Amino acid sequence: MFLTRSEYDRGVNTFSPEGRLFQVEYAIEAIKLGSTTVGVRTPEGVVLGVEKRVQSPLLESSSIEKIMEIDRHLGCAMSGLTADARTMIDHARVTAQNHAFTYDEQIKVESVTQAVCDLALRFGESVHDEDAMMSRPFGVALLIAGIDELGPQLFHTDPSGTFVRYDAKAIGSGSEAAQSELQDKWHKQMTLQEAQILVLRVLKQVMEEKLDHHNVQLAQVTPTGGFEILDEVRLKEIVDIM
Amino acid sequence: MPDGSFAHPQQRQFNPYTDNGGTILAIAGADFTVIAGDTRQSEGYSIQTRYAPKVFRLTDRAVLAVNGFAADGNMFVKKVKQRLEWYRHAHAKDMPLRAIARLIQTMLYAQRFFPYYVYNILGGIEEDGSGAVYSFDPVGSYEREACRAAGAAQSLVQPFLDNQIYFKNQKAAPGTSHPTHLPLSDVLSIVIDSFTSATERHIEVGDGLEIYVVVARGRSPQGIEGIRGVQELSAQPNGDRTFILRRELKKD
Amino acid sequence: MATASVYSGPGFDFTNEVRNNFLTERGIPLPKATSTGTTIVGCLFKDGVILGADTRATEGPIVADKNCEKIHYITDNIRCCGAGTAADTEFTTALISSNMELHSLSTGRKPRVVTAMTMLKQMLFRYQGQIGAALVLGGVDVTGPQLFTIHPHGSTDKLPYVTMGSGSLAAMAVFEAQWKPNMERAEALDLVCAAVSAGIFNDLGSGSNVDACVITASHTETLRNFVKPNERVQKERSYTFRRGTTEWTKEDVRALVVEEDITHITGGRGAEEAMDTS
Repeated sequence: MFLTRSEYDRGVNTFSPEGRLFQVEYAIEAIKLGSTTVGVRTPEGVVLGVEKRVQSPLLESSSIEKIMEIDRHLGCAMSGLTADARTMIDHARVTAQNHAFTYDEQIKVESVTQAVCDLALRFGESVHDEDAMMSRPFGVALLIAGIDELGPQLFHTDPSGTFVRYDAKAIGSGSEAAQSELQDKWHKQMTLQEAQILVLRVLKQVMEEKLDHHNVQLAQVTPTGGFEILDEVRLKEIVDIM
Repeated sequence: MPDGSFAHPQQRQFNPYTDNGGTILAIAGADFTVIAGDTRQSEGYSIQTRYAPKVFRLTDRAVLAVNGFAADGNMFVKKVKQRLEWYRHAHAKDMPLRAIARLIQTMLYAQRFFPYYVYNILGGIEEDGSGAVYSFDPVGSYEREACRAAGAAQSLVQPFLDNQIYFKNQKAAPGTSHPTHLPLSDVLSIVIDSFTSATERHIEVGDGLEIYVVVARGRSPQGIEGIRGVQELSAQPNGDRTFILRRELKKD
Repeated sequence: MATASVYSGPGFDFTNEVRNNFLTERGIPLPKATSTGTTIVGCLFKDGVILGADTRATEGPIVADKNCEKIHYITDNIRCCGAGTAADTEFTTALISSNMELHSLSTGRKPRVVTAMTMLKQMLFRYQGQIGAALVLGGVDVTGPQLFTIHPHGSTDKLPYVTMGSGSLAAMAVFEAQWKPNMERAEALDLVCAAVSAGIFNDLGSGSNVDACVITASHTETLRNFVKPNERVQKERSYTFRRGTTEWTKEDVRALVVEEDITHITGGRGAEEAMDTS
């Protein structure tokens, strides 16, 4: 990849002669440096799990926020340059609220994912002489989990603005090993608890530290409870079962 | 004054609205909804046309009746239809009835200080398969109801509906109670009688009558196919079904 | 017995004028008078004159009367169609009808249409348009067939075919297209019907039936509801209510005939004396 480096890797809105946008590809690379994030879909709901890298014993692990609520029926986990995710999640939240305000119904998971991806390609855009709002692609990938009339769904978005629906997906530094583990273990009729355990097991495999209820975070979206981040007590219970 | 100024303050006004008469009406049944309107469009004592539809099919399960200033009404329906199309493209489904109701509210309220001079009645089938009627004021206040009349003859028709649909001022026979929903044939009779009666006593009502009937998926259309002048509009008979019934009204 | 010594002058009473203007200023408008939105027409033909009218009376956009009479009697050989405020047309024509009767009694001649026309225009002019009567006056007298229109301010026209009221344009369109001098009776009657029908169907202020009146030198024929093109349709349902439908909060039955037993406690006077009412 570095062999093809040229002047084309600087401009965000210039294709290389081979038809590539290097900055976008590099942004996708940035995600592979991020902490591992896993999402699993079951008929009962969707489970999201993230690894919190506690780099220092002085760091308050509860201040690491890698899973966020978009709406009552929508959640989102991230990997990569997590600061970039704020802009995207803000947009997703506004889109979801606007939809509820205008149509008196909850937005579909795919629609909110589409809205976020529309934003992903706004880099390098400028109107007349105004400065461009975004100077580079987002350096973050999202796992968007939610429930609508089509049931529980899990979507993956990347910095190119592409989104795909998954039954189970891992992103971040340990994603390759995690994804093959998911492929082995995921099955159609999983219960929510099986999914929670699967997420933790997958994370445990790829984490350098020993997994406990401080260095992982779990969240789920269910038809009854909507989006919820599992508190340390519930998390510990699942860790213990595992 | 010679310099072009005025000695006294002058006031000029332009009124962009007119009332084009006519009346609309909708009644919700348990698993169907009837939405109707006459087809006369008038201004003052003149008939502009004897056939200007005021009732429009929006989706397979939603019908909108618009009454008031015809130009605003037509434009409004056009814009609602456009929003419905955009929604279909964005969300890959038809907009549900209650979402259309809320959309109409936001569209009307967006014009809060230069309103569409129209009274809207939205009828159709809800997500749960029940018949529903939503009525609106010109700036977006709305409510789900079992029946509603609007327009020129509202004051003639609504009390009749209150009596015949809600059984207002009617005591049920001892040991019985009034039905919450009437069968389709009764509702159609009441709608037709509402319009023939309004035609008798209101000069702006007449010429033609268009009655839309939306029947929930899998429910019986209760013999409507056999009625004279009925035409089915729905493409596939296994989904929600829409029928239109046209009648002549007096033309004087 | 003495009568009340309150003087009541002839003609209209204007005592409430100032009060009503004040109320209008304060946002309490006068009640809306019944108006005959109306199509009225008249036309001359070979043997006389035919008058025509619709039969709708309105109060704003509401139909007050579906079959009212707008062709008023003036004399045996004169009739007058009225448009405008119903009370004004009825009262004015009735007043002039009385005066025409008195006039022919005192002159001993058959009344003339111009006389009625002059009386009407003088009265309407005196009230400066405040009496909202727009009239079509027609008849046959010693001078032959006559046809006039009289406007609320008192101006008059003498024409071979005339229309008035809110449907006048619709009706006049028919006359302008089809009227010709010296028509036969049947042809003229058809034309009058067509003119009134144009008003009935194209003017919202006019409706229901066609009344007509054919006046010739020898005879006046009143054709009430000559055409009925707008019969009410059959209702889909019957709207009779079960006995006991209306609720009541209290039931109180009283006997209208009260029976009393009267016991005389004094026996001084006889029964016959008490009965004597002479």
